[in-house]
Amino acid sequence: MFRLLEESGFTKVKSVVVPNFRFKKAATQNAAEAYGVKAVLLTASRPAA
Amino acid sequence: MTDSAAAQESLEAVLKDEIIRMYQDVADNPAGEFHFYHGREAAELFGYDPDWLDRAPVGAVESFAGVGNPHLRSHVQPGETVLDLGSGAGLDGIIASWSAGPTGRVIGLDLNPSMCLKVQANAAVSGVKMECREGRMEEIPLEDKSVDVVISNGVVNLSFRKRKVVQELFRVLKPGGRISMTDIVSAKQLSQSIINDPKLWAS
Repeated sequence: MFRLLEESGFTKVKSVVVPNFRFKKAATQNAAEAYGVKAVLLTASRPAA
Repeated sequence: MTDSAAAQESLEAVLKDEIIRMYQDVADNPAGEFHFYHGREAAELFGYDPDWLDRAPVGAVESFAGVGNPHLRSHVQPGETVLDLGSGAGLDGIIASWSAGPTGRVIGLDLNPSMCLKVQANAAVSGVKMECREGRMEEIPLEDKSVDVVISNGVVNLSFRKRKVVQELFRVLKPGGRISMTDIVSAKQLSQSIINDPKLWAS
């Protein structure tokens, strides 16, 4: 997503991990961890000119 | 149309139905068990101000199915136009409406027309002005350069065509406009079995 935003013309692209995100069911959480799944907060701007 | 394009189109149609079914289920059955946190429990987990959750309509809070808190960086100002991409039952849009104020405008976009009805009902209960459009994030039904801020919460990951979604966000934003969105990302390429399973993709 970070790369897609930059390639689409966005600037000031930033991301931070959502610290408390997790799945409720252990099996889903375990599978998510195996794939390195995490939630992020992404911010970006369309250039002013 | 090539075979692979036809297969992708078919899978997207199935996925659309599955997304509508899953999030409709959260809205219709907020006391139900899902593999993700939802409702007030999820919102509190992600740092939503408890005063917001007390002030917002119960129907919007209990159907919340986000993955984080886009309001931490959205900095919505009075008079701004906000797009809530994948607005669900409307909690994030209603919170944005409080910052945009009576001179601002908040537009929700959702695949599911019944979610738009919920948004309108919840917005009316909370006394804010929030519109909702039925539509796809890959073809946002808004004019070019018409939006100051896009917020979104756990939605873009549901699309097979994320590049197109991002291009649409760029198109509808005014120059100098901004995005604040929370979403799920994966460090590893998902297996084809996950990609081909709409139930897993929709979650």
